[in-house]
Amino acid sequence: MSTVAEAENKHEALPARPKELAMHFDNLNQQFTTGKLGMWLFLGQELLFFCGLFTAYAVYRANHQEMFHYAHYFLDWKLGGLNTVVLLCSSLTAAWSVRCAQLEQRKGLIITLALTFLAACAFMVVKYIEYEHKIHIGAVWGSHFGVAEANFPEHLKEAYPNLTAEQLQQMGTGSFFAIYFCMTGLHGLHVLVGMGLYIWLLIRAIRGDFNRKYYGAVDNVALYWHIVDIIWIFLFPLLYLIG
Amino acid sequence: MTELAYETEHTIIEGHEEHGHHEGLPGTIGHVSPVKSLAAVLGTLLVLTVITVAVAQVNLGRMNVVVAIGIACVKASVVAMWFMHLRYDKRFNFWILIGSLAFVAWMVGYILFDSTMYQHNIREYRETHQIKTAPIPEVEDGHGHE
Repeated sequence: MSTVAEAENKHEALPARPKELAMHFDNLNQQFTTGKLGMWLFLGQELLFFCGLFTAYAVYRANHQEMFHYAHYFLDWKLGGLNTVVLLCSSLTAAWSVRCAQLEQRKGLIITLALTFLAACAFMVVKYIEYEHKIHIGAVWGSHFGVAEANFPEHLKEAYPNLTAEQLQQMGTGSFFAIYFCMTGLHGLHVLVGMGLYIWLLIRAIRGDFNRKYYGAVDNVALYWHIVDIIWIFLFPLLYLIG
Repeated sequence: MTELAYETEHTIIEGHEEHGHHEGLPGTIGHVSPVKSLAAVLGTLLVLTVITVAVAQVNLGRMNVVVAIGIACVKASVVAMWFMHLRYDKRFNFWILIGSLAFVAWMVGYILFDSTMYQHNIREYRETHQIKTAPIPEVEDGHGHE
């Protein structure tokens, strides 16, 4: 198989370039691996981006364990667990969409992309239910925190019948919720961006843009989606499960 | 000579073709994951999720954090190696991830050590200003997570 450079040397007529090949790449394989390298650099940066919030979590937890102990009663692990399962399943459909693109299964690609998008929607609906309840009872960030005893979760009342709303506030529980809303909020923002990207992919898949040599967009968005999943894999136990 | 000239000799990413068997159409870029292995990965992740929820119900004191982070690390590795294809990818992408994680560990670790240095100042401030706090629960008293 001769290359473009050889053809140029022999002064042969150049073959038609594939329409998917951008002008600054030699071939589709180079284009694919370059895009992927760029994506991994971005994902490395994403981890550092979230790292600041994980550091805040670690520092507050190390120094104020009681704050986390009381506050975690306010989080419903069942809803958090449901969202974990939803995200894990969406990771499967995202990985499957890459497989479909590689095998040029256009129908399968459209279905898996749509399922990933729907799972992201489901995640945001559950997130909305959680946020709505917390804001309603006053379990919010910083000095705005103020939950009346009547709104304490049942199992918190059972475990600490003498705990007052004032004690809970002075303990700095608002700081926990500042961390909670920042971490889950930034993560939720990533989910929203992912939803936009999956709509974009769906349009392109329906148009028939992708083939076995040109599916970098599907692959790179899936990588992004998996990182969003990985962040949640850490957020779920750290916020919802351990007190 | 047709459009084939725009392909390289190695369309399949550097030498990770497994035992000569490669599913997929000729000339496909990258590794094609079999449905079976994708399903196995999801199964593993769901089982580990159930385990992490179950373990959190048991009060292990400070060990709860360690166990939770440990299981999360295993889950994250499974996602990275199989769903994200790192197992079959160029090694360089793997080292980007490891490099990033090294800085994550450095930042969390360093700031964590530093922050514990000032806690006695905060305690003194609270005492001199008589700031009331809720009773600090003893983690070993069996109240844990329920």
